[in-house]
Amino acid sequence: MNAIEIKDLSKSYKGFTLDRLNLTLPNGCIIGLIGENGAGKTTTIKLILDMISRDSGSITILGKDNKDNLLLTKEDIGVVLDEVGISECLTAKQVGKIMKYTFKNWNEYTYSEYLKKLSIPDNKKFKEFSRGMKMKLGIAVALSHNAKPLILDEATSGLDPLIRDEVIDIFGEFTRDENHAILISSHIVSDLEKICDYIAFLHKGKLLLCEEKDRLKEQYGIIHCSADDLINISPSAIIGKKETPYGVEAIVARNKIQTGMEISITDIEQLFIFMAKEAK
Amino acid sequence: MKGLLLKDLYLTFKYCRAFILIIAVFIGASFINEHSAFLTVYPCLIVGMIPATLYSYDEREKWSIYSATLPVSRVQLVSAKYIIGLFSGATIILLTAIVQAFKMINTSFILMNYLSVIAFVASICLVAPSVFMPFMFKYGAEKGRIIYYVVVGATCAAFIVFSVYQESTFILNNTFVIIAVCISAAVIYIASWLLSIAFYKKREI
Repeated sequence: MNAIEIKDLSKSYKGFTLDRLNLTLPNGCIIGLIGENGAGKTTTIKLILDMISRDSGSITILGKDNKDNLLLTKEDIGVVLDEVGISECLTAKQVGKIMKYTFKNWNEYTYSEYLKKLSIPDNKKFKEFSRGMKMKLGIAVALSHNAKPLILDEATSGLDPLIRDEVIDIFGEFTRDENHAILISSHIVSDLEKICDYIAFLHKGKLLLCEEKDRLKEQYGIIHCSADDLINISPSAIIGKKETPYGVEAIVARNKIQTGMEISITDIEQLFIFMAKEAK
Repeated sequence: MKGLLLKDLYLTFKYCRAFILIIAVFIGASFINEHSAFLTVYPCLIVGMIPATLYSYDEREKWSIYSATLPVSRVQLVSAKYIIGLFSGATIILLTAIVQAFKMINTSFILMNYLSVIAFVASICLVAPSVFMPFMFKYGAEKGRIIYYVVVGATCAAFIVFSVYQESTFILNNTFVIIAVCISAAVIYIASWLLSIAFYKKREI
């Protein structure tokens, strides 16, 4: 069973359309939703959680339509938002008490263990926390009620490298259980490159691609050549290119390039930038 | 639901402390000017602001978005604010009952007058938040508050003007009227509650 399945999902606002999005998050996997600001990442997450209503398409979470008794399904979903959303005057201890009465599966022991593990003070007010600390508290809450899929909206943005590393370890540990899965959105590609099994590119409300991260690196590469050399390459092989007076840099599909041409490894960020620019 | 109420109680004790001081000042002042309707009504209006204040903090601190990811329904999210409104209203009614009893015992205790004041205070406590809560759940806390301030301002102005000409403005003459006033206020509160639920269910968060 897939943790989340999205089929032909559409949502229109004035000046923005999420256009027939198809996305699958298999159990045991981490999928990274990458896109520039305003690409539709948060809209997708809000649609998954039925915070906004969809125009068309379907969303299933743990095999159930998200319109069908979502409250029960939400017991099994852990969510961390960009700004976390915990009231500023509350302490971690008070948050624990509130969540105990909110989630049926709330596990006080797990929560207190996460507080210890992540060095979160339990009597300090949320407003006195650093951004990293706030995010860690949000993650501790999300992981303390036996959530199966985790949905993280820009949860790693703005974290310092040490905390990010700590958080990435927690996510890795979480997905060791094959019933767990993570959907994580970010516009900071390097955050996701380390942890994701699948990468989805969202650009201006359209899904440019969704592929296994390792396959992306196998399938695509970057070449540096002159403008004249580029003419000899089949246009269908070129995913995106950047021309400067000193030459051309192009992302290409490796299987469409003749042998003998030097193709360097591309990173996900480069691939996304070239694809997004080409899609303009 | 219990979780939402607990969270709102934590916020009430943290953010609404100033209200307690204002209420204490008004109760103290009501002993000096025993016949002022304004001094009796104003604490009710202040208390009526508690749900709006809490909702305003929810929006500012993004709890209103986060809570939509939790296993709580829109009905529960709205209801938590109305229940807090009832709790705070009940507190001020109880306080008024004690203060009025104390004041009347020192002068002349007339049961009908006493019940009239309590009924009037209860009605204000129920009707005041009923006016702005649906707007708040439809348009957000800030617009809801603006509407509330307009209502509070108009009510206060009316009482100030009215109390110049007549000292005891809210003495009702018979039990039937007292009961009718209370029932009407309760109906308005319930109608407002249902309207807020309807608005909030449709709102995109």
